[in-house]
Amino acid sequence: MDATIEVRGLRKRYGPTLAVDALSFTARPGQVTGFVGPNGAGKSTTLRMIMGLDRPDAGSALVGGRPYRSLRTPLCRLGAMLDASAVHPARRARDHLRWLAHAGGLPRRRVEEVIELTGLASAAGRRAGGFSLGMRQRLGIAAALLGDPPALMFDEPVNGLDPEGITWIRGLLRSLAAEGRAVLVSSHLMSELEGGADRLVVIGRGRLIADTSVADLLEAASGGRVELRTAERQEAMTVLARAGATVTAAGPGAVTVAGLPAERIIALLTGEGVAFSGVSEHRASLEEAYMELTRDAVEFRAVAGREAP
Amino acid sequence: MTAATSYRSTVQAEARDGFGRLLLAEWTKFRTVPRWVLAVGASVALTVLVALLTAAGSASSGTGEGTADPARSGIFDMGHFTYQPLEGDGTVTARVTAQEGGARAKAGLMIRGSAERGTPYAALAVTPGDGVRLQTGYRDGGAGGGPGALPRWLRLTRSGTTVTGYESPDGRAWSRVGSVRLEGLPRSALAGMFVAAPDDVVVERRFGSESISGEPAAATAAFDRVSMVPARPGAAWQDRGTPGGPGGPAEPGAGGSTLSGGTFTLSGYGDIGPNAFADDLTKTILTGVLIGQTAIVAAAVLFVTSEYRRRTLRTTFAASPRRGRVLAAKALVAGLVSLAAGLAASCGAMLLARPMLRSNGVAPPPLWDAAVLRAVLGTAALLGVIAVFAVAVAVIVRRSAPAITIVLLLLLVPQIVATGLPLSAARWLERLTPAAGFAIQQTVARFDRAIGPWAGFGVLCAYTALALAAAAFLLRRRDA
Repeated sequence: MDATIEVRGLRKRYGPTLAVDALSFTARPGQVTGFVGPNGAGKSTTLRMIMGLDRPDAGSALVGGRPYRSLRTPLCRLGAMLDASAVHPARRARDHLRWLAHAGGLPRRRVEEVIELTGLASAAGRRAGGFSLGMRQRLGIAAALLGDPPALMFDEPVNGLDPEGITWIRGLLRSLAAEGRAVLVSSHLMSELEGGADRLVVIGRGRLIADTSVADLLEAASGGRVELRTAERQEAMTVLARAGATVTAAGPGAVTVAGLPAERIIALLTGEGVAFSGVSEHRASLEEAYMELTRDAVEFRAVAGREAP
Repeated sequence: MTAATSYRSTVQAEARDGFGRLLLAEWTKFRTVPRWVLAVGASVALTVLVALLTAAGSASSGTGEGTADPARSGIFDMGHFTYQPLEGDGTVTARVTAQEGGARAKAGLMIRGSAERGTPYAALAVTPGDGVRLQTGYRDGGAGGGPGALPRWLRLTRSGTTVTGYESPDGRAWSRVGSVRLEGLPRSALAGMFVAAPDDVVVERRFGSESISGEPAAATAAFDRVSMVPARPGAAWQDRGTPGGPGGPAEPGAGGSTLSGGTFTLSGYGDIGPNAFADDLTKTILTGVLIGQTAIVAAAVLFVTSEYRRRTLRTTFAASPRRGRVLAAKALVAGLVSLAAGLAASCGAMLLARPMLRSNGVAPPPLWDAAVLRAVLGTAALLGVIAVFAVAVAVIVRRSAPAITIVLLLLLVPQIVATGLPLSAARWLERLTPAAGFAIQQTVARFDRAIGPWAGFGVLCAYTALALAAAAFLLRRRDA
């Protein structure tokens, strides 16, 4: 119960825009929950509402069963990195962590512990203004870990990082979840979460699109489709269509079949004497599945061309 | 999916939630940004520098031996006094029959400690303009009673250190005007008649400057039916002429008294009472805070607005979601830092200006005088409150440039504009705006004083409290 982030019917309006609407999901302990959606989908707004920074118009967000603003030592309940660049550039990294530890009522030794943990030891005495993006991310993560909290939130933690940094963060998130913490990670690119998240909460235009495990999502996106390689494309399509399948040409010598299991396809083609070189279950990539889901929910479309005469 | 066991924070048990930790956090924030610390240091340096420049430019205008007691340098103790010694308790009575010297000329009775300048006194006088008044000390005010129509009987009675004044139209029906306690009135005092008249002063105010020129005015009055109780037969009447006032050297032979047929005629120059046109040397030395405060205001505003600009306010509220407490901690830290800087600045200014003033022949203000001490410590408190005010405005406005502009406009512009306005309008401006707080630096009650030191400081504090309340309200309501 302690390590759960729970969102119930959250709604937030900024002027005429409904940023978040009727959003509910739960990030559970022991899991990395990916929070995915296109830019402007309402991810950051949701995270701010969870932390009590923005006031929701309706609904509630609970951290370990309680509203964030009612927590007495909140850094020990939920650690968050909302914005890695949110550091005064003239302040040394260690001093940034020091004031935060004081404000959160945490023991002083935690500062050195998280510096060690995030590999900032050599940079802790430098002013944050001179930090590279990667070091800022590490500093942000160090700040999130100060209270050693059972729940963690990271907003776009790998955005703009080099592959080495991405690997490091992925490993860190996995190990944090393995310790029994709830980890909520937002991203606008599904590929960043591939192999990193156990569960996915997909939103678009402030609404929940999918709340599912990664495996189920891929299953759904694959939609039981089968890819067939054959030199006799026309014949194959005729045979399979007659059997009730939806067949689409997927390039020269390849068709995608939906509505028939692979065994049935093999039996039909063999029976009709259509030669084929391969039958395989279609595996959708996470990105593909996500594109499928958010097609209608992308906030900004290239519409400029249509307006021009 | 299997439900994993929840992680438990290893720090939770040690974590303490308290205002002291919040103060420590805000202090850490402040001291770890070098340019803010530098700004506060610059504020001290600027204030002291201006004090030194002021001291270097000051020159003695011939105050004689240069007594620098501000309670005395800001006074007049002139006019003409014709007296006899009065041992212990007693009464002096006389009738004022004629008076010349203008609406504010004074003619009446006085009991005073000695003929020295600035000794405690009580004076009961008829003035054509203000009627009968019982006046004491060297500040404005005093009890009033009875019209100024002549002839008028006056009586002063000493009992211990209390002196009581009575007046009567006919010498039979007496009415009490009031009584005053004279601390330090010796047993052997002086009692008699006096005349005095306020200076004819011309004040020219131009934008940013003022010039004051004045000359002692003359007053003449006639007294009869003069009696002393206990009577001292054969005791001679003595005269105390016009000694040197603060405005210039004494004029020997000015004024005097004649006695003919029981009627005394006194004439004299100058006034007795507060000198509303004296220089306020302490305030002048501390003028530098007008410049020093700009750096304090900038640092205090940036202390807040940088949190908006760098979005660290979210981190702050994440660590401490009770926003009112965060504001209180922030305001307190900014206020205390500025108070300390103000203390260094005002003490530094006063101490470093002393040798310079002396070498220019000007006696420096005594540091242990109550009014000077109030000005020096008040200047520090002033900077502290200004910093809190700046923090509150910065929370309301959220951006650096507008916040700094607003605070400095409110504090500086009234004082600059006031010099170009008619005195009555200028007074209201200096009473009603946050700039009233600078009144805490006054050590002399001057003619252009708009508001008392504490009242003025109170006005600034009221504005600050109001701004803080608005800031707390907005901070709680707004999204961070």
